[in-house]
Amino acid sequence: MYNIKLHAIILALIIVAELIGAHTFKIGVGTIVLLPMLYALMIGILTTPKFLNLSGKKEMHDASALLGITLMLLMARYGTLVGPTLPKIIAASPALILQEFGNLGTVLIGVPVAVLLGLKRETIGAAHSIAREPNVALIGERFGLDSSEGRGVMGVYIAGTVFGTIFFGLMASIASSTLPFHPYALAMAAGVGSASMMTAAVGSLSAMYPDMANQIAAFGAASNMLSGLDGLYMSIWMGLPMTEWLYKKCYRMRYGTAPEASEAGKEEK
Amino acid sequence: MSIKDTIIVLLIVTFMSLFSNVLGTPAGIVESIPGLLILALIALAGIVMAKYLPGNIPSVAYVVTLGCILTYPGVPGSEFINFWVQKIGFVSLCTPILAYAGVAIGKDLDAFAKNGWRIVVLACVVFTGTYIGSAIIAQAILKYLGQI
Repeated sequence: MYNIKLHAIILALIIVAELIGAHTFKIGVGTIVLLPMLYALMIGILTTPKFLNLSGKKEMHDASALLGITLMLLMARYGTLVGPTLPKIIAASPALILQEFGNLGTVLIGVPVAVLLGLKRETIGAAHSIAREPNVALIGERFGLDSSEGRGVMGVYIAGTVFGTIFFGLMASIASSTLPFHPYALAMAAGVGSASMMTAAVGSLSAMYPDMANQIAAFGAASNMLSGLDGLYMSIWMGLPMTEWLYKKCYRMRYGTAPEASEAGKEEK
Repeated sequence: MSIKDTIIVLLIVTFMSLFSNVLGTPAGIVESIPGLLILALIALAGIVMAKYLPGNIPSVAYVVTLGCILTYPGVPGSEFINFWVQKIGFVSLCTPILAYAGVAIGKDLDAFAKNGWRIVVLACVVFTGTYIGSAIIAQAILKYLGQI
Protein backbone atom coordinates (compact mmCIF):
# COMPACT_ATOMS: atom_id res chain seq x y z
CA MET A 1 0.00 0.00 0.00
CA TYR A 2 3.03 2.27 0.31
CA ASN A 3 3.75 1.68 -3.36
CA ILE A 4 3.86 5.29 -4.53
CA LYS A 5 4.49 4.29 -8.14
CA LEU A 6 1.29 2.25 -8.23
CA HIS A 7 -0.82 5.07 -6.80
CA ALA A 8 0.71 7.58 -9.20
CA ILE A 9 -0.19 5.32 -12.12
CA ILE A 10 -3.75 4.91 -10.77
CA LEU A 11 -4.16 8.65 -10.34
CA ALA A 12 -3.04 9.24 -13.92
CA LEU A 13 -5.46 6.54 -15.13
CA ILE A 14 -8.36 8.15 -13.27
CA ILE A 15 -7.66 11.60 -14.63
CA VAL A 16 -7.29 10.38 -18.22
CA ALA A 17 -10.39 8.18 -17.97
CA GLU A 18 -12.58 10.92 -16.50
CA LEU A 19 -11.38 13.45 -19.04
CA ILE A 20 -12.39 11.13 -21.89
CA GLY A 21 -15.81 10.99 -20.19
CA ALA A 22 -18.85 8.80 -20.71
CA HIS A 23 -20.03 8.04 -24.24
CA THR A 24 -23.21 6.29 -25.25
CA PHE A 25 -24.16 5.01 -28.68
CA LYS A 26 -27.80 4.49 -29.53
CA ILE A 27 -28.42 1.26 -31.38
CA GLY A 28 -32.03 0.32 -32.07
CA VAL A 29 -33.79 -0.43 -28.78
CA GLY A 30 -30.80 0.17 -26.56
CA THR A 31 -27.52 1.92 -26.09
CA ILE A 32 -23.95 0.79 -25.80
CA VAL A 33 -22.42 2.51 -22.80
CA LEU A 34 -18.75 3.34 -22.45
CA LEU A 35 -17.97 4.72 -19.01
CA PRO A 36 -14.73 6.15 -17.61
CA MET A 37 -14.36 3.04 -15.43
CA LEU A 38 -13.97 1.02 -18.61
CA TYR A 39 -11.17 3.19 -19.96
CA ALA A 40 -9.48 3.06 -16.56
CA LEU A 41 -9.62 -0.73 -16.71
CA MET A 42 -8.36 -0.94 -20.29
CA ILE A 43 -5.54 1.54 -19.89
CA GLY A 44 -4.72 -0.12 -16.56
CA ILE A 45 -4.22 -3.41 -18.37
CA LEU A 46 -2.11 -1.60 -20.98
CA THR A 47 0.34 -0.43 -18.30
CA THR A 48 1.30 -4.01 -17.42
CA PRO A 49 4.46 -5.80 -18.63
CA LYS A 50 2.83 -7.39 -21.69
CA PHE A 51 2.25 -3.93 -23.14
CA LEU A 52 3.75 -0.66 -21.91
CA ASN A 53 5.51 -2.20 -18.90
CA LEU A 54 4.84 0.79 -16.64
CA SER A 55 3.43 -1.38 -13.86
CA GLY A 56 5.73 -4.21 -12.89
CA LYS A 57 5.13 -7.39 -10.91
CA LYS A 58 5.14 -5.49 -7.64
CA GLU A 59 2.51 -2.99 -8.82
CA MET A 60 0.23 -5.75 -10.14
CA HIS A 61 0.56 -7.67 -6.91
CA ASP A 62 -0.05 -4.64 -4.68
CA ALA A 63 -3.03 -3.56 -6.77
CA SER A 64 -4.77 -6.89 -6.34
CA ALA A 65 -4.08 -6.86 -2.60
CA LEU A 66 -5.84 -3.48 -2.31
CA LEU A 67 -8.85 -4.27 -4.51
CA GLY A 68 -11.06 -5.74 -1.78
CA ILE A 69 -10.94 -2.62 0.36
CA THR A 70 -11.30 -0.21 -2.56
CA LEU A 71 -14.69 -1.82 -3.22
CA MET A 72 -15.96 -1.00 0.29
CA LEU A 73 -16.22 2.72 -0.39
CA LEU A 74 -18.49 1.92 -3.34
CA MET A 75 -20.55 -0.43 -1.18
CA ALA A 76 -21.04 2.32 1.40
CA ARG A 77 -22.42 4.50 -1.40
CA TYR A 78 -24.57 1.60 -2.54
CA GLY A 79 -26.13 1.27 0.90
CA THR A 80 -26.81 5.00 1.05
CA LEU A 81 -28.53 4.76 -2.35
CA VAL A 82 -30.86 2.03 -1.09
CA GLY A 83 -31.58 3.56 2.35
CA PRO A 84 -33.79 6.48 1.26
CA THR A 85 -35.91 4.11 -0.89
CA LEU A 86 -36.49 1.61 1.96
CA PRO A 87 -39.94 2.86 3.01
CA LYS A 88 -41.17 2.31 -0.55
CA ILE A 89 -39.55 -1.12 -0.69
CA ILE A 90 -41.21 -2.16 2.56
CA ALA A 91 -44.58 -1.09 1.16
CA ALA A 92 -44.10 -3.23 -1.96
CA SER A 93 -46.58 -5.99 -2.60
CA PRO A 94 -45.85 -9.67 -1.79
CA ALA A 95 -45.75 -10.37 -5.51
CA LEU A 96 -42.66 -8.22 -5.79
CA ILE A 97 -40.95 -9.87 -2.87
CA LEU A 98 -41.60 -13.45 -4.00
CA GLN A 99 -40.57 -12.58 -7.51
CA GLU A 100 -37.06 -11.90 -6.19
CA PHE A 101 -36.51 -15.63 -5.95
CA GLY A 102 -36.60 -15.65 -9.74
CA ASN A 103 -33.11 -14.19 -9.59
CA LEU A 104 -31.97 -17.63 -8.49
CA GLY A 105 -32.86 -18.76 -12.02
CA THR A 106 -29.45 -17.34 -12.83
CA VAL A 107 -27.79 -20.15 -10.91
CA LEU A 108 -29.97 -22.97 -12.24
CA ILE A 109 -29.35 -22.07 -15.87
CA GLY A 110 -25.96 -20.40 -15.56
CA VAL A 111 -23.98 -23.09 -13.74
CA PRO A 112 -24.72 -26.01 -16.12
CA VAL A 113 -24.03 -23.82 -19.15
CA ALA A 114 -20.78 -22.58 -17.61
CA VAL A 115 -19.56 -26.12 -16.99
CA LEU A 116 -20.62 -27.13 -20.51
CA LEU A 117 -18.64 -24.20 -21.91
CA GLY A 118 -15.60 -25.58 -20.12
CA LEU A 119 -15.30 -22.95 -17.42
CA LYS A 120 -13.84 -24.13 -14.12
CA ARG A 121 -13.96 -22.11 -10.88
CA GLU A 122 -14.79 -19.02 -12.96
CA THR A 123 -18.30 -20.49 -12.88
CA ILE A 124 -18.75 -19.60 -9.21
CA GLY A 125 -18.14 -15.92 -9.82
CA ALA A 126 -19.85 -15.69 -13.19
CA ALA A 127 -23.06 -17.65 -12.58
CA HIS A 128 -23.96 -17.01 -8.92
CA SER A 129 -25.82 -13.80 -9.72
CA ILE A 130 -26.24 -11.16 -12.35
CA ALA A 131 -22.84 -9.76 -11.25
CA ARG A 132 -23.56 -6.20 -10.29
CA GLU A 133 -21.40 -4.19 -7.90
CA PRO A 134 -22.37 -5.88 -4.61
CA ASN A 135 -21.70 -9.27 -6.16
CA VAL A 136 -18.29 -8.15 -7.36
CA ALA A 137 -17.54 -6.97 -3.82
CA LEU A 138 -18.79 -10.23 -2.33
CA ILE A 139 -16.69 -12.42 -4.64
CA GLY A 140 -13.75 -10.08 -4.11
CA GLU A 141 -14.02 -10.57 -0.38
CA ARG A 142 -14.54 -14.33 -0.46
CA PHE A 143 -12.03 -15.32 -3.13
CA GLY A 144 -10.12 -12.20 -4.22
CA LEU A 145 -10.73 -10.61 -7.59
CA ASP A 146 -7.51 -12.08 -8.97
CA SER A 147 -8.76 -15.63 -8.41
CA SER A 148 -10.62 -17.71 -11.01
CA GLU A 149 -13.88 -16.82 -9.29
CA GLY A 150 -12.92 -13.15 -9.43
CA ARG A 151 -12.19 -13.32 -13.15
CA GLY A 152 -15.62 -14.84 -13.68
CA VAL A 153 -17.51 -12.15 -11.83
CA MET A 154 -15.46 -9.34 -13.38
CA GLY A 155 -16.07 -10.70 -16.88
CA VAL A 156 -19.84 -10.75 -16.46
CA TYR A 157 -19.78 -7.38 -14.68
CA ILE A 158 -17.93 -5.74 -17.54
CA ALA A 159 -20.08 -7.43 -20.21
CA GLY A 160 -23.17 -6.21 -18.34
CA THR A 161 -21.84 -2.67 -18.03
CA VAL A 162 -21.14 -2.37 -21.74
CA PHE A 163 -23.91 -4.43 -23.34
CA GLY A 164 -26.40 -4.76 -20.47
CA THR A 165 -28.82 -2.07 -21.57
CA ILE A 166 -28.97 -3.17 -25.18
CA PHE A 167 -29.34 -6.79 -24.11
CA PHE A 168 -32.18 -6.09 -21.68
CA GLY A 169 -33.90 -3.73 -24.09
CA LEU A 170 -33.88 -6.41 -26.76
CA MET A 171 -34.78 -9.25 -24.44
CA ALA A 172 -37.82 -7.44 -23.04
CA SER A 173 -39.24 -6.81 -26.48
CA ILE A 174 -38.49 -10.33 -27.73
CA ALA A 175 -39.95 -11.92 -24.60
CA SER A 176 -43.12 -9.86 -24.74
CA SER A 177 -43.73 -10.62 -28.42
CA THR A 178 -42.85 -14.35 -28.34
CA LEU A 179 -43.51 -15.60 -24.78
CA PRO A 180 -46.89 -15.76 -23.01
CA PHE A 181 -46.01 -13.27 -20.27
CA HIS A 182 -48.11 -10.34 -19.15
CA PRO A 183 -46.32 -6.98 -19.55
CA TYR A 184 -46.55 -6.46 -15.77
CA ALA A 185 -44.69 -9.70 -15.13
CA LEU A 186 -42.00 -8.69 -17.61
CA ALA A 187 -41.78 -5.24 -16.03
CA MET A 188 -41.31 -6.75 -12.57
CA ALA A 189 -38.69 -9.14 -13.86
CA ALA A 190 -36.75 -6.19 -15.28
CA GLY A 191 -35.71 -5.13 -11.78
CA VAL A 192 -32.53 -7.15 -11.58
CA GLY A 193 -30.56 -4.71 -9.45
CA SER A 194 -29.18 -2.48 -12.17
CA ALA A 195 -30.95 0.80 -12.85
CA SER A 196 -29.72 1.05 -16.43
CA MET A 197 -30.75 -2.50 -17.36
CA MET A 198 -34.16 -2.04 -15.73
CA THR A 199 -34.71 1.26 -17.54
CA ALA A 200 -33.85 -0.31 -20.89
CA ALA A 201 -36.27 -3.21 -20.43
CA VAL A 202 -39.03 -0.97 -19.08
CA GLY A 203 -38.43 1.42 -21.97
CA SER A 204 -39.02 -1.30 -24.57
CA LEU A 205 -42.12 -2.54 -22.77
CA SER A 206 -43.65 0.92 -22.45
CA ALA A 207 -43.07 1.54 -26.13
CA MET A 208 -45.00 -1.66 -26.89
CA TYR A 209 -47.81 -1.03 -24.37
CA PRO A 210 -48.10 2.76 -24.11
CA ASP A 211 -51.40 2.63 -22.21
CA MET A 212 -49.79 0.57 -19.41
CA ALA A 213 -46.58 2.64 -19.35
CA ASN A 214 -47.04 4.10 -15.86
CA GLN A 215 -47.75 0.78 -14.19
CA ILE A 216 -44.89 -0.87 -16.08
CA ALA A 217 -42.46 1.81 -14.92
CA ALA A 218 -43.69 1.53 -11.32
CA PHE A 219 -43.33 -2.26 -11.23
CA GLY A 220 -39.88 -2.08 -12.80
CA ALA A 221 -38.58 0.57 -10.42
CA ALA A 222 -40.01 -1.06 -7.29
CA SER A 223 -38.63 -4.46 -8.21
CA ASN A 224 -35.27 -2.95 -8.97
CA MET A 225 -35.06 -1.23 -5.60
CA LEU A 226 -35.97 -4.49 -3.94
CA SER A 227 -33.30 -6.39 -5.86
CA GLY A 228 -30.82 -3.74 -4.83
CA LEU A 229 -31.56 -4.51 -1.21
CA ASP A 230 -32.04 -8.27 -1.14
CA GLY A 231 -29.71 -9.17 -4.01
CA LEU A 232 -26.65 -9.12 -1.79
CA TYR A 233 -28.18 -11.03 1.13
CA MET A 234 -29.69 -13.53 -1.26
CA SER A 235 -26.30 -14.08 -2.89
CA ILE A 236 -24.54 -14.58 0.44
CA TRP A 237 -26.99 -17.08 1.92
CA MET A 238 -28.66 -18.67 -1.10
CA GLY A 239 -27.11 -17.88 -4.48
CA LEU A 240 -23.48 -18.54 -3.63
CA PRO A 241 -23.98 -21.77 -1.62
CA MET A 242 -26.36 -23.03 -4.31
CA THR A 243 -23.82 -22.22 -7.02
CA GLU A 244 -21.04 -24.08 -5.17
CA TRP A 245 -23.27 -27.11 -4.73
CA LEU A 246 -24.54 -27.17 -8.31
CA TYR A 247 -21.04 -26.58 -9.66
CA LYS A 248 -19.77 -29.68 -7.85
CA LYS A 249 -22.67 -31.75 -9.22
CA CYS A 250 -22.26 -30.52 -12.79
CA TYR A 251 -18.50 -30.85 -12.68
CA ARG A 252 -18.71 -34.45 -11.52
CA MET A 253 -21.25 -35.19 -14.23
CA ARG A 254 -19.05 -33.81 -16.97
CA TYR A 255 -15.55 -34.80 -15.86
CA GLY A 256 -16.27 -37.71 -13.52
CA THR A 257 -14.09 -36.29 -10.73
CA ALA A 258 -14.52 -33.73 -7.97
CA PRO A 259 -13.57 -30.18 -8.95
CA GLU A 260 -10.32 -28.65 -7.77
CA ALA A 261 -10.54 -26.59 -4.59
CA SER A 262 -10.58 -22.82 -4.79
CA GLU A 263 -7.11 -21.36 -5.16
CA ALA A 264 -8.24 -18.76 -2.64
CA GLY A 265 -9.55 -21.40 -0.23
CA LYS A 266 -6.88 -20.70 2.34
CA GLU A 267 -8.16 -17.16 2.74
CA GLU A 268 -11.80 -18.05 2.65
CA LYS A 269 -13.67 -16.25 5.34
CA MET B 1 -5.11 -6.80 6.94
CA SER B 2 -4.75 -4.84 10.19
CA ILE B 3 -7.12 -2.01 11.04
CA LYS B 4 -4.32 0.50 10.61
CA ASP B 5 -3.59 -0.77 7.09
CA THR B 6 -7.28 -0.78 6.27
CA ILE B 7 -7.55 2.87 7.31
CA ILE B 8 -4.56 3.80 5.16
CA VAL B 9 -5.96 2.01 2.11
CA LEU B 10 -9.38 3.60 2.64
CA LEU B 11 -7.75 7.03 2.82
CA ILE B 12 -5.87 6.36 -0.41
CA VAL B 13 -9.06 5.25 -2.19
CA THR B 14 -10.94 8.24 -0.80
CA PHE B 15 -8.22 10.51 -2.16
CA MET B 16 -8.39 8.82 -5.59
CA SER B 17 -12.20 8.99 -5.60
CA LEU B 18 -11.98 12.72 -4.93
CA PHE B 19 -10.39 13.11 -8.35
CA SER B 20 -12.88 10.91 -10.20
CA ASN B 21 -15.82 12.61 -8.46
CA VAL B 22 -14.64 16.15 -9.16
CA LEU B 23 -13.94 15.32 -12.81
CA GLY B 24 -16.94 13.05 -13.35
CA THR B 25 -19.78 14.83 -11.50
CA PRO B 26 -20.89 18.44 -11.14
CA ALA B 27 -19.62 18.52 -7.52
CA GLY B 28 -16.46 20.50 -6.73
CA ILE B 29 -13.59 19.57 -4.41
CA VAL B 30 -15.01 21.17 -1.26
CA GLU B 31 -18.47 19.69 -1.87
CA SER B 32 -17.08 16.20 -2.45
CA ILE B 33 -14.92 15.87 0.67
CA PRO B 34 -17.63 15.48 3.37
CA GLY B 35 -19.52 12.81 1.42
CA LEU B 36 -16.38 10.82 0.69
CA LEU B 37 -15.28 10.96 4.33
CA ILE B 38 -18.73 9.78 5.47
CA LEU B 39 -18.52 6.86 3.03
CA ALA B 40 -15.02 5.99 4.21
CA LEU B 41 -16.24 5.95 7.83
CA ILE B 42 -19.19 3.69 6.94
CA ALA B 43 -16.82 1.36 5.08
CA LEU B 44 -14.39 1.29 8.01
CA ALA B 45 -17.18 0.62 10.52
CA GLY B 46 -18.46 -2.26 8.37
CA ILE B 47 -15.02 -3.81 8.01
CA VAL B 48 -14.40 -3.56 11.77
CA MET B 49 -17.79 -5.11 12.52
CA ALA B 50 -17.12 -8.05 10.18
CA LYS B 51 -13.80 -8.59 11.90
CA TYR B 52 -15.07 -8.63 15.48
CA LEU B 53 -18.72 -9.68 15.33
CA PRO B 54 -19.57 -13.38 15.26
CA GLY B 55 -21.36 -15.17 12.42
CA ASN B 56 -18.71 -14.96 9.72
CA ILE B 57 -20.75 -12.42 7.76
CA PRO B 58 -18.77 -10.70 4.98
CA SER B 59 -17.94 -7.03 5.55
CA VAL B 60 -19.75 -6.07 2.33
CA ALA B 61 -23.04 -7.02 4.05
CA TYR B 62 -22.24 -4.85 7.08
CA VAL B 63 -21.16 -1.90 4.93
CA VAL B 64 -24.28 -1.97 2.73
CA THR B 65 -26.61 -2.47 5.71
CA LEU B 66 -25.00 0.37 7.65
CA GLY B 67 -25.34 2.65 4.63
CA CYS B 68 -29.03 1.71 4.40
CA ILE B 69 -29.79 2.33 8.06
CA LEU B 70 -27.94 5.63 8.26
CA THR B 71 -29.87 7.06 5.31
CA TYR B 72 -33.26 5.57 6.23
CA PRO B 73 -35.70 8.51 6.35
CA GLY B 74 -36.28 9.57 9.94
CA VAL B 75 -33.09 8.11 11.42
CA PRO B 76 -31.26 10.90 13.28
CA GLY B 77 -28.66 12.42 10.99
CA SER B 78 -29.97 10.70 7.88
CA GLU B 79 -30.76 13.99 6.17
CA PHE B 80 -27.28 15.29 6.83
CA ILE B 81 -25.64 12.10 5.53
CA ASN B 82 -27.94 11.93 2.53
CA PHE B 83 -27.27 15.55 1.66
CA TRP B 84 -23.53 14.99 1.41
CA VAL B 85 -23.32 11.49 -0.07
CA GLN B 86 -25.72 12.54 -2.83
CA LYS B 87 -22.87 14.60 -4.23
CA ILE B 88 -20.82 11.45 -4.74
CA GLY B 89 -21.52 9.75 -8.06
CA PHE B 90 -21.88 5.97 -7.96
CA VAL B 91 -20.30 5.55 -11.38
CA SER B 92 -17.43 7.89 -10.49
CA LEU B 93 -16.59 5.72 -7.50
CA CYS B 94 -16.12 2.79 -9.87
CA THR B 95 -13.33 4.49 -11.83
CA PRO B 96 -10.55 4.12 -9.22
CA ILE B 97 -11.62 0.55 -8.48
CA LEU B 98 -11.43 -0.52 -12.09
CA ALA B 99 -8.12 1.30 -12.49
CA TYR B 100 -6.67 -0.88 -9.71
CA ALA B 101 -8.45 -3.88 -11.21
CA GLY B 102 -6.89 -3.19 -14.61
CA VAL B 103 -3.38 -3.16 -13.19
CA ALA B 104 -4.14 -6.27 -11.11
CA ILE B 105 -5.62 -8.15 -14.06
CA GLY B 106 -2.34 -7.70 -15.91
CA LYS B 107 -0.90 -10.67 -14.08
CA ASP B 108 -3.75 -13.00 -15.11
CA LEU B 109 -4.12 -11.74 -18.65
CA ASP B 110 -3.58 -15.15 -20.21
CA ALA B 111 -6.30 -16.69 -18.10
CA PHE B 112 -8.64 -13.87 -19.09
CA ALA B 113 -7.86 -14.19 -22.78
CA LYS B 114 -8.35 -17.95 -22.62
CA ASN B 115 -11.81 -17.76 -21.06
CA GLY B 116 -12.96 -14.33 -22.22
CA TRP B 117 -15.38 -15.44 -24.93
CA ARG B 118 -16.81 -18.17 -22.70
CA ILE B 119 -17.57 -15.64 -20.00
CA VAL B 120 -19.25 -13.28 -22.48
CA VAL B 121 -21.47 -16.14 -23.73
CA LEU B 122 -22.20 -17.05 -20.13
CA ALA B 123 -23.08 -13.43 -19.33
CA CYS B 124 -25.83 -13.57 -21.97
CA VAL B 125 -27.12 -16.83 -20.49
CA VAL B 126 -27.03 -15.40 -16.96
CA PHE B 127 -28.96 -12.28 -17.98
CA THR B 128 -31.55 -14.32 -19.83
CA GLY B 129 -31.87 -16.80 -16.95
CA THR B 130 -32.42 -14.08 -14.39
CA TYR B 131 -34.96 -12.27 -16.55
CA ILE B 132 -37.01 -15.27 -17.60
CA GLY B 133 -36.79 -16.86 -14.13
CA SER B 134 -38.14 -13.71 -12.51
CA ALA B 135 -40.83 -13.31 -15.20
CA ILE B 136 -42.13 -16.85 -14.64
CA ILE B 137 -42.53 -16.29 -10.89
CA ALA B 138 -43.97 -12.79 -11.36
CA GLN B 139 -46.49 -14.11 -13.87
CA ALA B 140 -47.59 -16.93 -11.54
CA ILE B 141 -47.95 -14.65 -8.52
CA LEU B 142 -49.74 -11.85 -10.33
CA LYS B 143 -52.15 -14.39 -11.73
CA TYR B 144 -52.68 -15.94 -8.28
CA LEU B 145 -53.37 -12.51 -6.80
CA GLY B 146 -55.73 -11.74 -9.65
CA GLN B 147 -53.78 -8.62 -10.64
CA ILE B 148 -53.56 -9.66 -14.30
